[in-house]
Amino acid sequence: MRRKRLVLPLLLFPGGGYLLVFFGVPLFLAVMGGFGLYNIAGDNSFTLEHYRKLLVVREFRDGLILTLYLAFTSTGLGLVVSVPLAAMLQLNFVGKKAFNAIYKVPLVVPSVVAAFLVLTFIDRGGMTSRALALVNIDMPKMVRDRWAIGVLIAMTWKSIPFMTLIIGGSMAGISKDVLHAARTLGARPLTVFLRMQIPLALPGITAATLLTFIGAMGAFVVPNLLGPVYPLPLSVHMYDNAFEFNEWGLVSAMGTIITLVSTAVLLTYYRLTRGAQRAFQAGH
Amino acid sequence: MNTKRKNWWLSLGLFGSALLALGLPLIVTALWSLIDPKVGWFAPDVIPRSFSTHFWQDTLRDPGIFRSMILSLVIATIVTAFSGALALPTAYALARIPFRAKRAVEIFVLAPLIVPGIIVGVALGTIFFRLKLVFSIPGVVLVQSVGTLPFMIRILSAALEGIPEDILLAARTLGAGPLQVARHLVVPLARPGFFAGGLLTFILSFEEFDKTFIVGAPLVQTLPIRLWKFLGGQLIIFPNAAVVTFLLIVPMLLIFFLAERILKEDVLAAGMGKL
Repeated sequence: MRRKRLVLPLLLFPGGGYLLVFFGVPLFLAVMGGFGLYNIAGDNSFTLEHYRKLLVVREFRDGLILTLYLAFTSTGLGLVVSVPLAAMLQLNFVGKKAFNAIYKVPLVVPSVVAAFLVLTFIDRGGMTSRALALVNIDMPKMVRDRWAIGVLIAMTWKSIPFMTLIIGGSMAGISKDVLHAARTLGARPLTVFLRMQIPLALPGITAATLLTFIGAMGAFVVPNLLGPVYPLPLSVHMYDNAFEFNEWGLVSAMGTIITLVSTAVLLTYYRLTRGAQRAFQAGH
Repeated sequence: MNTKRKNWWLSLGLFGSALLALGLPLIVTALWSLIDPKVGWFAPDVIPRSFSTHFWQDTLRDPGIFRSMILSLVIATIVTAFSGALALPTAYALARIPFRAKRAVEIFVLAPLIVPGIIVGVALGTIFFRLKLVFSIPGVVLVQSVGTLPFMIRILSAALEGIPEDILLAARTLGAGPLQVARHLVVPLARPGFFAGGLLTFILSFEEFDKTFIVGAPLVQTLPIRLWKFLGGQLIIFPNAAVVTFLLIVPMLLIFFLAERILKEDVLAAGMGKL
């Protein structure tokens, strides 16, 4: 019995212990650093100055808004493509095996490369604008533009395979008999998609959404290369403040805010899924 | 008959979009890498006027690029092995042993995905600076593993949940010790999980930028960091960047397409499909 009690901590130790040291400690330092405590370099006293700055300085406030805008929009666009794509991949079609491999290519393409592809392709003077110039259409500015369209394209492009993979996995788990039964009873394919496949694959859809959203909140490379000149997203501010101005407290405060937003979204998700699950069981 | 025809349209649509979204950018990049430095490639030309292998030779002759390639592959391999080894016991406990604070541990394991890489990078970077781990390969491996371990643990534990309890109990009854069971049963039966998690870890490590940049650059230059230098500087050197892009993508695609045949997608989806 006593040996048994030792087994669990021993098993949890390698992975859990590693994360405790190399993730828990830095996270603790970051949260404390936002309040001016445990400062690695410099003075060490409690202050709300960094958070005040984040709320008052316009540059940072706009940065937070841009960060949220990028995360929400790119995740939304990713969903709009991935959910139907995942459903189509459940059908039989010619060349399915090949397509199954091809669509995952952006998964292995680094973000830096995705940014570069967008530059060559849709930047002014890039491929699309040259092709459109032949028919006398002027391309709107899509890189370093106000609405960060280039950033959104690159981030969405990169996130689609990951989302499709997870959502497709969920959809593959739905019993074929149920879907066939619905079809036999007269439901149209679109009805089956909207009223059966999407609700039954909801855990996968929400998981994919969350992971993409959280990743987009912290995205750094793509907004830095393709994003608007003003405002800069918080992730880029974090980098600048850490390495050019050595403002560790401010960096920590920004990191804490991004983490808090992500956590809030995650908690909302747990709340909602619990509610949905209950509603689903009640409907039975 | 009717459905057959419809599915041809589906194939056409899917492959058409793939060509547009994936093929064309790669073709444009290929063209950029092959331009002639004496002639250049300026608007309004849709296709360069003349081609040369100048930039390929130029880039491949640079020993730094070759070193970066090897470095990226070595770091990705070490991170994969390291994450797998650390993740296995923890994943086993999460998958098969009931205990009270399990949900809390599960959420803690996921937490590194919620915190932006930059904050972990900056905080660990300052700690590593004191420990003299900064700008070193071990430092980069350690900081990258923070990001890959959550995926590895989740996917492995999804794979381990599928192993029937009876087999493990039978082996124990027949006199196998816990380590023997782990070596001869758990590890082989969890192979699809190792495979899916390992592939994902390898890819994540190979393309990782934020944390590697903060902890490793400028001394540890992986391929993504080298590409960044071509893109983020004062002047963007398109042709060189195009060549490095191919150097980054080709090994990934090779590994990916080889792995695709043996990859069990459901394991990957099961690991990440619920949070």
